[in-house]
Amino acid sequence: MKKLFSIFAMAALMLASAGCDKIDINNTHKPYTPIGGNKTVLIKDFTGARCVNCPAAAETAHELQHRLGEDRIFILSVHAGGLAQPVGQFPDFLTEEGTAWYNDNASNPLFSVDHVALTDGNTLYVEQIDTPVADALAEPQTFDITVENTYDESSRKLDVKSDVKAVADYEGQLYVSYCLVEDSIVGWQITPEGLNREYVFRNVFRGTVNGYEGSLFKDGQALANDAKTFNCSMTLDSIYNPNQCYVLGYVFEKTSGKILQSVMEKIK
Amino acid sequence: MRKHILILGALALALSYKASAQSFLENSQVNGSFQTDAQYYMLDEGIGITDLNGKKLGINGFGKVNYTNGNFSAGIRFEAFLPEMNGFRSELNGVGLANFFATYDNGFVGITVGDVYDQFGSGLVFRSYEEWSLGMDNALRGARIVLRPTQGVTLKAVYGRQRYYWAPYLEKDFAADDYRGIVRGVDGEWDLNQSIPALGDSKFRMSIGGSFVSKKQYDQSLFYYIPENVGAAAGRINLGYGNWAFSTEYAYKINDPSAINNFIYKEGRALLSSLSYSQKGFGAVLQVKRVDNMSFKSMYTGKQNDLDINFIPPINYTHTHSLPSMYTYSTQPNGEMAAQLQINYTIPKGTALGGRYGTKLAFNMSQVNDIVRDSIMDNGELVINKPGSLGYASRFFAISDHRFFRDINFEIDKKISPNWHVTAQYINLYYDIETIEGHVGAPVVKANIGFMDVTYKINKKQSIRLELQGLWENEVHKGYEYEESEKKDFQKRGDWAAALIEYTITPHWSFSIADKWNYGNPVEEYRDHYFTGTITYIKDATRVMLSAGRQSEGVVCVGGVCRTVPASSGVTLTVSTSF
Repeated sequence: MKKLFSIFAMAALMLASAGCDKIDINNTHKPYTPIGGNKTVLIKDFTGARCVNCPAAAETAHELQHRLGEDRIFILSVHAGGLAQPVGQFPDFLTEEGTAWYNDNASNPLFSVDHVALTDGNTLYVEQIDTPVADALAEPQTFDITVENTYDESSRKLDVKSDVKAVADYEGQLYVSYCLVEDSIVGWQITPEGLNREYVFRNVFRGTVNGYEGSLFKDGQALANDAKTFNCSMTLDSIYNPNQCYVLGYVFEKTSGKILQSVMEKIK
Repeated sequence: MRKHILILGALALALSYKASAQSFLENSQVNGSFQTDAQYYMLDEGIGITDLNGKKLGINGFGKVNYTNGNFSAGIRFEAFLPEMNGFRSELNGVGLANFFATYDNGFVGITVGDVYDQFGSGLVFRSYEEWSLGMDNALRGARIVLRPTQGVTLKAVYGRQRYYWAPYLEKDFAADDYRGIVRGVDGEWDLNQSIPALGDSKFRMSIGGSFVSKKQYDQSLFYYIPENVGAAAGRINLGYGNWAFSTEYAYKINDPSAINNFIYKEGRALLSSLSYSQKGFGAVLQVKRVDNMSFKSMYTGKQNDLDINFIPPINYTHTHSLPSMYTYSTQPNGEMAAQLQINYTIPKGTALGGRYGTKLAFNMSQVNDIVRDSIMDNGELVINKPGSLGYASRFFAISDHRFFRDINFEIDKKISPNWHVTAQYINLYYDIETIEGHVGAPVVKANIGFMDVTYKINKKQSIRLELQGLWENEVHKGYEYEESEKKDFQKRGDWAAALIEYTITPHWSFSIADKWNYGNPVEEYRDHYFTGTITYIKDATRVMLSAGRQSEGVVCVGGVCRTVPASSGVTLTVSTSF
């Protein structure tokens, strides 16, 4: 009997000693590991000003961007869903395109990595995006996209000129989309500590420049070195601050929704 | 001669085999149960269902068969969700053998292989269970050993990987891109009254127990160092003397950053205590609970009820009538302080108030508040709940002003005559719908609820039951000013009335019609009636129930674990049987 107790006690002790890993609280963050290549990645952060967990999620996404490469990871904050509805003095960042991308999901924050819409398989929580982002960064680059903006202060007209070029053969319905993004907007946001009246909203999606459908690059197949120049324009709403506005351009395959290459440039 | 000997030998063997086969068959017992729940959905513009999203039918079904022969038992459970009914997780969609096990238990040692269900203590560090009405099953596929080395001592060990819907039991679920850890645990319990003969008939009762559970998970994070082994330990004691009983369990968990706690490295703690007294006609129970960062899952990215290793028992009254159960509390594993007092008293027969049959009175009060979280210094910065930090500091007995829930109710249960029986209850409710159901910015539900349940026995076989219920919110009624964009948050809000009449012919038939009317909703288009008609037929262990009508939006909770149910309209068929 004593032997039995001893065996059980030893097993319990072994489990207790092997079953606990204490992490040094001063060293909880992993070091930055560079990922080679030229592929860029777009994270869409589906958020809302009344979503209490959204600020922390946005912070986590920005930390990932900071760690893995600010020049290769872009974040687009898409305000959509019930928690993004502009109640009282909460800001109205809703867009028709963002609502369509959100695809009637039930909660915020949600993320997509290199995908246009939140459909089955593309919906991620922020803590699930690190591996897909790293995987997407490691993919070979298939397209090159540049954006050149011209902004007229007096008319508030923005002209976008963009060169798109295939750097490898790629099959699919290939489209290009240009989005207006406004950074550093101050407004009301619910946080775990309560209402923050001076919250700084980052990279807010304001709408598409060339429409929800985008512009066709190649239908069927793009061969390496196929190239096309796109021009589109829009007039900035009077409440947008042109000093904080950017144009985000990306090439995507329409059937799968997969974004193949992105770029973001300031408008002035 | 040799041929004859061989024939005789073969005959003897066959006879002995037949005898043992007969004995084997005589000792065999087979039992099982089957259930199918099917819902046919229909468009119903009256309650805002203008699109079925291509889903006209939802079917959940299971069949389980258990076989027992002496010390040996085995079982299987087959499940089908084709597709799952509305309100159940879409990951359930599928069909297959969900569960199987084989157990040998001779009283001294018990070994189970396959899917294991068990609980250590009150479940604060380990509980694997299945709850059909929630679509929840966190069975541990692996093995369990139970040792009973001496009278009153039970030692247990479990090892395995938890069920995650239909995902294969692999280290990595490639479809979901998630990793599931391995769960291993040990538990010991010593019942002194069984072990020590002198205490066998004593008024004093005592048992003690302790558990240790650890998960082995894989660190896949690019951000943080995730502990690959996370341990949780608990100690418990149960004491009793005469009519008094006291039990308490304390649990501790080391750093376990996860999606649920926003990747903080704080340790988790939980305390659950209960003091009770009972005598003929009177009983009282006082319970207290403190939970701080005690979500414990075998996948650190898990959300909602996914892959829970532990179970935090609720200490709230469980309402069964439709209006009070609309607002059921859901346990908050990140932090809560709760208390409950339940008093039952029966006014004796033959007294003025007790009458001929006695009168049962019950009082219950439960309240849940948040814990207090104070900021901490992290790299020279004052932070609270920051990922990668210790999160916050929390004084053990400090209670936050943020109240999640309060339920004060009083019930009278009275048999008036051989034919009449009445139950009535009054409930005062406070329900922070923002925290519990996630309706951000929605006003707290402060309501008075009452119901009366009257049964009249027409004769030995027939009875009729009438249920009348009302729910009156203190602040949100007709005329409450709301923003148009907030409208969705006001589904099911405001005042309600409900009535049900049920006619029963024992032992087979029951017919009922019911209506719930949200007549006081501030949003005019939500002032809907939810009519239902139900026919139930019971024969032996078989029950067939057919109902048609509307179902209001709400939550279904069992043991503090909840799932949301969307509004629907249509026909529901439930068939269940057991043998």
